[in-house]
Amino acid sequence: MRFVLIDKIVSLEKGKRLTAVKSVSLAEEYLADHFPTFPVLPGVLLLEGLVESASWLVRLTQDFACSMVLLEQARNVKYKSFMSPGSQIEYTVEAKVIDENVSSFFGRGVAEGQDIVEARISLRHFNLADRDPAMASVDGHVIEQMKSRYDLLSGQSLNHD
Amino acid sequence: MRWIWIDKFVEFESGRRAVAIKNVTMAEDHLHDHFPGFPVMPECLMIEAMAQTAGILVGEAMNFREKVILAKISKAVFFDYVRPGDSLRIEAEITTMAVEAASTRGTITRGDQTIAEIELMFSHVDRNLAGKKFPEENFVFTGTFTALLRDIALNHKQPVAQPTESG
Amino acid sequence: MGMDRDEIFQKIQGVLVDALGVDEDEVTSEATLMGDLGAESIDFLDIVFRLEKAFGIKVPREELFPAESLLNNPDLVSNGKLTAKGLAELRERVPHTDLSEFEKNPDLSKLADLFTVNAIVTYIDGRLNA
Repeated sequence: MRFVLIDKIVSLEKGKRLTAVKSVSLAEEYLADHFPTFPVLPGVLLLEGLVESASWLVRLTQDFACSMVLLEQARNVKYKSFMSPGSQIEYTVEAKVIDENVSSFFGRGVAEGQDIVEARISLRHFNLADRDPAMASVDGHVIEQMKSRYDLLSGQSLNHD
Repeated sequence: MRWIWIDKFVEFESGRRAVAIKNVTMAEDHLHDHFPGFPVMPECLMIEAMAQTAGILVGEAMNFREKVILAKISKAVFFDYVRPGDSLRIEAEITTMAVEAASTRGTITRGDQTIAEIELMFSHVDRNLAGKKFPEENFVFTGTFTALLRDIALNHKQPVAQPTESG
Repeated sequence: MGMDRDEIFQKIQGVLVDALGVDEDEVTSEATLMGDLGAESIDFLDIVFRLEKAFGIKVPREELFPAESLLNNPDLVSNGKLTAKGLAELRERVPHTDLSEFEKNPDLSKLADLFTVNAIVTYIDGRLNA
């Protein structure tokens, strides 16, 4: 299983808002365990979809300045309905603030007009080299990989070398 | 990949608290996507480890009669990242147990260090929720968890409920 | 127990920040639970559980958040408004809330506006200092 919980970034306003979609398919292995006879996308993976959406908004707003973008805090994450295979969810994240090393967002996921998930999240972002200069090349590698992933998710090329 | 985010229970006090372990290893595929070049355990999966520890604690307290589903993550705060080779201790306690829902809180530690503090709410769903019908059997507590639970029963002095085999 | 209104407000503010993930400065006395603070069904439970722990009392859900059970009863609600029976039921459940404005036009959609942080403070004050 690949740990990428969005499929396509559909709109972007740097510093402000990002929208992404994820299609849910029975091909996703964990659905066999969650649950047997009643497959639904696990709640934490709905949250991960919001976290990834917000992370992309940070990376794009900061021009991929930070290699590490991690969830620092999730508050009042509510699950309102189930996501079943064969449907598609649209995630929208709106930035409250994006500073150099911290950011916060309100996020929501909707599928076929129905509310699925809603959350307040804070991220933290940094380079490993901030603590240990020897890690600068690792940062560089992670950033390059994430730029390639963005090309896949956006259907464009950043034209980076 | 299997949707099981704890490896074993090391303490289990029925209706009160439980402690489980999760080992993080390079053998886990998903780490290699998060992130390529520097694998760290995704925070959302740490929340799931807590949800499974706390969910089993809540379910067992009701003898697995009810389907226990994560309804809300009130708060999840992370203080550091976790790497392959780390072993996490997930401790959960029930803070309120009511007819329709339960709340839990807990911490995830790595050695002496607190990695996360997580507060959750579980709904005890009956067959209709937002008009959706569920299968009749308890599909939440099945196969994958049975081995973990048998482990508690064997290793702990207190009697511990077991779900009936299904699915 | 002898807690004064300010102390009660502070504690309730803390509970709402924890339960709803909002900032302290959003939790003003006049803020409505459902409108301003975005509270829903699962949040009401979260709030009740935390209030019980914070104040050491049992809080029957319908006393604090009566709307839920009223909404689903056809005797009490008709055409999106509370019936006379519904209003009487409501008055009984929430003696701590001023219903005079609401009674002029008992539209369900306005029910949400009644439930302010201040209403919770009044309820807890009543329970503690009874």
